[in-house]
Amino acid sequence: MSDKKRVIKVAPIAATAVGIVLVCLLWVLVSAKPNPSENADSPLLGQPAPAVVTTTLEDKPFDLARRKGSWVVLNFFNSTCVPCRIEHPLLLSFVQNQLSTDNPAELYTVINDDNDSAVSAFFAENKGDWQKIRDTDGSIAVAFGVAKVPETWIIDPNGYVRLRIAGQLSEGLLDEQLSLLKVQFGS
Amino acid sequence: MSTSTKLNNKYSWFVMAAIATALLIFGGLRDGGPLTQQDRIDAITMRLACPTCQGESVYVSRASAAEAIRAEVARQVGSGLRTDDETIAYIEQRFGGQVLLVPRSTGVDSLVWALPIAALIAGAAALGVVFRKWRTTDDGAASAEDSALVDAAMASDS
Repeated sequence: MSDKKRVIKVAPIAATAVGIVLVCLLWVLVSAKPNPSENADSPLLGQPAPAVVTTTLEDKPFDLARRKGSWVVLNFFNSTCVPCRIEHPLLLSFVQNQLSTDNPAELYTVINDDNDSAVSAFFAENKGDWQKIRDTDGSIAVAFGVAKVPETWIIDPNGYVRLRIAGQLSEGLLDEQLSLLKVQFGS
Repeated sequence: MSTSTKLNNKYSWFVMAAIATALLIFGGLRDGGPLTQQDRIDAITMRLACPTCQGESVYVSRASAAEAIRAEVARQVGSGLRTDDETIAYIEQRFGGQVLLVPRSTGVDSLVWALPIAALIAGAAALGVVFRKWRTTDDGAASAEDSALVDAAMASDS
């Protein structure tokens, strides 16, 4: 009889404990706010940029470490990727806008899982005279943690990664973010 | 059952548990011999999730991101500069913790390992308590109510 009483006493306590845990979990889920920033997180932010040593479409050598002193924008691109094609006019505007600023940023297209001729044909048709660099074995994409294109990264004049934009750019986003970074970290 | 038989049973369970534990430890620590580079690449990529697929490892996936990671793992194994764990840490630093198929044994992730063991121990302890209670409460002796019923039945027969 006394055992039965004990079971009866323990059951509400256990049920209350489980209930409290569930309410806490529910509260965490309900109160969690989505990341309001359009910028994606990355363990590389604030870290020195990974080494990028490769060649351009024109077979010229490219070494990211030698671009120190300039803001560098790397845009990971594939000519068959629809968002990459859609954002292309925004990159053309960005390059045009940069010409009128102090210390204009250098834009580079990183060719992701694509062949040279397809990329050349795309740029011949859609314009864009900036450098396109090869990532033949995918090592640049892995070094930056790029799984899907398009992705855009900004590296400051000291060679530190400052921004990652995952997915398609929106109008004016790149200019706006770069201006903010220049104010924050100096141009 | 005699006391000596009970003791023998206890010892045999203990010996069986000790042998099983020893075999598990031996199996777990046994050196499987040197791995080839390809074995190492396969073992590492089986522990990494393809970042663009659902539930596929880098080892099985044919997605371009998985192929790029496989190539990077092959490069790092080939260079001999990093251990398997360091190579996995490199990929994790780039793609984040979601790329790990096998959770880490540190921080919050360690709960994945610790909670099942804690639940197992708690369950075994609870079963032990329940079994003990059954044995102590059900001693086979007739209660006063039982005796009264038997007495009444015998009186009515006579």
